Amino acid sequence: MPCDFLVVQRYDKIVLAEVKKERLLDPASITSLGEALIAECDRTAKISLVIDVTEVGYLSSAMIGKLVAVHKAAKLSKGRVAIVGLKPTLLQMFKVTQLDKLFQFAPEAESVILEYKRKPL
Amino acid sequence: MSHKPLDIKAGDPPLTPPTVFERTWPSRIDLKQEIMDEVVELLIGKNWVDEADRAWLYLCFDEVVVNAMLHGNEGDPRLEVIITVRLDERRWVVTVADQGDGFTETAIPDQSQPESLMLEHGRGIRIMQEWLDELTYYRGGSVAWLARHRADAVPPSA
Repeated sequence: MPCDFLVVQRYDKIVLAEVKKERLLDPASITSLGEALIAECDRTAKISLVIDVTEVGYLSSAMIGKLVAVHKAAKLSKGRVAIVGLKPTLLQMFKVTQLDKLFQFAPEAESVILEYKRKPL
Repeated sequence: MSHKPLDIKAGDPPLTPPTVFERTWPSRIDLKQEIMDEVVELLIGKNWVDEADRAWLYLCFDEVVVNAMLHGNEGDPRLEVIITVRLDERRWVVTVADQGDGFTETAIPDQSQPESLMLEHGRGIRIMQEWLDELTYYRGGSVAWLARHRADAVPPSA
């Protein structure tokens, strides 16, 4: 299923995926975004996936669960995932369920991309 | 991290606080956004909830409305979901009732267990417990009771 609100830029094995949607609540959006991100992980061995959610204001626990599935797909490709631009309230939701153990978080994409360029997998 | 047990009671929810809003919707998931928007705008529009907490409201209502429609009512659009908003001077309460048989806590993954970290479901209740003052289920789980202090409540005098 294509995801019409995801903008992907690839820099070799570093993939910047920008989510251009405020509400990640409806099942169709969650499914299409999850499938598109998992497809990136399947396509690129040792992927360094940077998911930019700066424009996201609301999400559901189903979306959080889908991001765990993306993390699993990245791990299968010996890769890693960072989530950048999370609003403080949304970041708290991830921390409550201890997902800060799973994902790297950063305020914006640039610093993570620079870090991944310096330390390739 | 501490894990709060989920409170599931067999009986009916309390009669108080008094109801200020009640509406019944068919159990159709395509109506979920409309339902959530109506209740969220009521709570924020009346200043019972801070605008800054809108994301918490959406996550909580998404969780309970989806559970009511897809699990409680098993996706049957002929069944109904009843939502009430109740209010006293101290707190607001939202109840979401379905026509199902409820559930037991064993249906919810224990988020305090390390093996739960990689699960793709079961986080919603733990997140709701973080923000709400009360999360209780009545009628064996078919009525969700969500309560939090009012943002516009006058704090107790010092």
